[in-house]
Amino acid sequence: MNTTTPDLLVVGAGPAGLAAAVTAATHGARVLVVDEQPRAGGQIWRRPDPGNPGPDPLSAPAYAAGRALLTRAAAHPGIDFAHHTTAWGVFATRTAPDGWAAPPGTPVPAGPRVAVHGPEGVEVLLPRALLLTAGAYDLPVPLPGWTLPGFLTVGGIQALLKGHRTLAGRRIVLAGAHPLLLIAAAQLVRAGADVAEVAFAQHLPAPADLIRAVAALPGNRAKVAEGLAALRTLRRAGVPVHTRTLLLRAEGEQHVTAAVLARVDQDWRPVPGSARTVACDTVGTGYGFVPSTELARQAGCAAHWNGPAGGWVLDHDDAMRTSLPHIWAAGELTGVAGAEHAVATGRRAGLDIGRSLGLLESAAHDRELRSVETELAATGRMAAFLDHTCAPHRAGLHALADDDTVLCRCEEITFGQVRHTLADNPGLDTADAVKLLTRAGMGPCQGRMCGPALLELLHRETGLPRETIGAFTARPPVKPLPVDALARAHDATTTPESPTDAGPVAR
Amino acid sequence: MERTEVLVIGGGLLGCAVAYHLARGGAGVHLIEKDQLNRHASGQNAGSLHFQLEYRMIQHGHAVAARAAEALPLHLDAMNSWAGLEDELGEPCGVRRGGGLMLAESPEDLALLAHKTHLEHTHGLDVELLDARATHELAPYLSERVVGAAWCPGEGKADPRLVTHAYARAARRLGARIETGVRLTALRHDGRHWLADTAAGPRLSARAVVVAAGVWTAEVAAMADIRLPVVPVALTMTVTAATRPLVPHLVQHAGRRLSLKQSAEGNILIGGGRAAKFVQQAGTLDLDARPELRLDSVFAGADAARVVPAVQRLPVLRVWSGATSLAPDQLPLLGAVPRRPDLYVATGGSGFTLGPTYSRLLAEQILTGSTALPLDDYSPARFGALNFV
Repeated sequence: MNTTTPDLLVVGAGPAGLAAAVTAATHGARVLVVDEQPRAGGQIWRRPDPGNPGPDPLSAPAYAAGRALLTRAAAHPGIDFAHHTTAWGVFATRTAPDGWAAPPGTPVPAGPRVAVHGPEGVEVLLPRALLLTAGAYDLPVPLPGWTLPGFLTVGGIQALLKGHRTLAGRRIVLAGAHPLLLIAAAQLVRAGADVAEVAFAQHLPAPADLIRAVAALPGNRAKVAEGLAALRTLRRAGVPVHTRTLLLRAEGEQHVTAAVLARVDQDWRPVPGSARTVACDTVGTGYGFVPSTELARQAGCAAHWNGPAGGWVLDHDDAMRTSLPHIWAAGELTGVAGAEHAVATGRRAGLDIGRSLGLLESAAHDRELRSVETELAATGRMAAFLDHTCAPHRAGLHALADDDTVLCRCEEITFGQVRHTLADNPGLDTADAVKLLTRAGMGPCQGRMCGPALLELLHRETGLPRETIGAFTARPPVKPLPVDALARAHDATTTPESPTDAGPVAR
Repeated sequence: MERTEVLVIGGGLLGCAVAYHLARGGAGVHLIEKDQLNRHASGQNAGSLHFQLEYRMIQHGHAVAARAAEALPLHLDAMNSWAGLEDELGEPCGVRRGGGLMLAESPEDLALLAHKTHLEHTHGLDVELLDARATHELAPYLSERVVGAAWCPGEGKADPRLVTHAYARAARRLGARIETGVRLTALRHDGRHWLADTAAGPRLSARAVVVAAGVWTAEVAAMADIRLPVVPVALTMTVTAATRPLVPHLVQHAGRRLSLKQSAEGNILIGGGRAAKFVQQAGTLDLDARPELRLDSVFAGADAARVVPAVQRLPVLRVWSGATSLAPDQLPLLGAVPRRPDLYVATGGSGFTLGPTYSRLLAEQILTGSTALPLDDYSPARFGALNFV
């Protein structure tokens, strides 16, 4: 890494992170962007590895803004990228780092220590400002058959297509509630897949009417055009798109062989006798997204429950400052709202970071602020509309799992086991306490897959508000990390007891 | 106002176990816990059943070690208690007694172990000093760096996820009332009874009160106008992903803060007392806030791979902090509080390993006024000079 002490460290090279990096760097900040993927762009602007030939998935008109932002960020001399690099822990956010352990005369700056793991091992970064833009992942929905090979989320199917030019299956059923289903279905059709059906659970007039309603919202023409183009593609290919249709379960022995779908009422309850079986080898669900707040919550940033915006979202002010000093957040962490809004929040954060680092005169700041606020307002309207029309009906989804359905895939804990534990242990009613007693959430995915479903289960079983039940406490490393990498970092520190409080780890 | 015979403050292992033993002895028991059961040290420690003297007891010179060794009779009692615990409670507690090794990597470590085993022998603990060859025969998973070990066949592990709840369920079956989410806010004696106020519920009245509040012990005792020297200590634990059976023993280190064992599910748990840092509010320790992890302690956990090389390839899943409480002399703080009628306390180091013993003896004292093992050495009376009232 060129520097361990950037002015601004951005975690996540998606729309929000790139927009913030460009904004801050334009005002003179030295910016380091770390990202797990081999190339910048996040999930939405994902591209194949540089060595992988073929057409650029970002050549579609809908990605024009993304292409432009990626180009600007890559060309900016003030922005460095560290790819294949995971930020796995943020330290010294609630207690001051100690100077007593440092060699005499070594300055020990305040501020968060960000531990990252990349091709060169574990390093500790000391940015003046930290921006978290870790994005979001598909809401996992446990239902019978969801652990079968061939059962994916639509985001996963799309990542295979964009990042690896790979079709997830030959005959695919997409089901859920999010408009991404349409976009992904059209991309699959164009790539040669047989999309058997796209099923939306909502009680809506029709996707076309939905798109028209969105068109009434100013400032979101590109988004609307993308949706309409997807619909045209699906119509030409003869792909049925149904509303009020819910995926009940996936069937198969060794692999998915069919999806069972049913008509549902407006509370997503199946209409008796309406279940039908659609033969397929792949199912993709798209019920919306869960903000990836793990690193932020591990750092100690406050979060609150906002179901329509994806679940636990970070507390933040108008300038995207989190509850902790030196730490900002933007994009989906502050509420799932799509790439355009993520860009706007990233610009907003980048502008405030520039101001707080003393890089902007207040007149220049205020001028730029007006343009950012206009953009935020426009993209925010679209996000609010999507929240309203496409939020998952959590009770309806919860009802799909029976007692034998696996809740925690890592530890193989079923819904029934958790219910039994609750009955056996009166007063047990927080996510953390249930995790400790049942092991649900203790595996390698660290609760990302079962967390939302366990919260819903506890909410339904105890009647307590979700804020009382809480999220799993996020612990470092927020993604698993080899013992060996930590051991090498330990060896690299000179004095045995407390060297890393003194500053970055020397390689 | 609700009346009970004994009010227990704290729903960790000690509180739930005291409630169990009191209920078994026929007493009416009401336990209140401000959070969830097993939410703090009892559920956050790494589950060692260590009966040898620990690193923290032997690293500060012979005098400190000799003082700590005075609690060895409790260790011997605890070894037996754990052996029968699952049968007694009729609940799984993950107790496995595969023996424990305290490792030496240097001549200095070996010298510490020699002195330690000598002390332990005088108190009757079954422990044996092994040379390098015997150590590696017994534990082929160890690195060649290990030059010897102290072997205690009675050591092992229990599952901290399960033990407290097992006691709580057993106590409930015997009629104990256990409430969570109830925080004590005031405690005073009216001349006949203890009166306890709680944040949300009704006032509670009890003949006797047991403070089993872990790091909050001093805070609760202060409500009864008693000063107890309980020092909160914030520690760091690490767990890896599950792997094949690798380490059947409890592994500790004579010269470093390291303990290691494998859970029944296959995860490697690394503890040993690496420091975490308490959060402060306006200059005062905030015991309710999760202690902050220190990077050096996070890195140092990986040091386990130095003595068990196979650990090196495993992914670390989680590092977490917890807080326990120690008395200044590292001995338990167990028994009746002087000058306060029927106020009892149970805390001090090794609260998990010695929990079954602490709780049984304390219940005995409350129910009968005397105990099978003398508790005088561990009595809060030894800090009576701190209290002028």
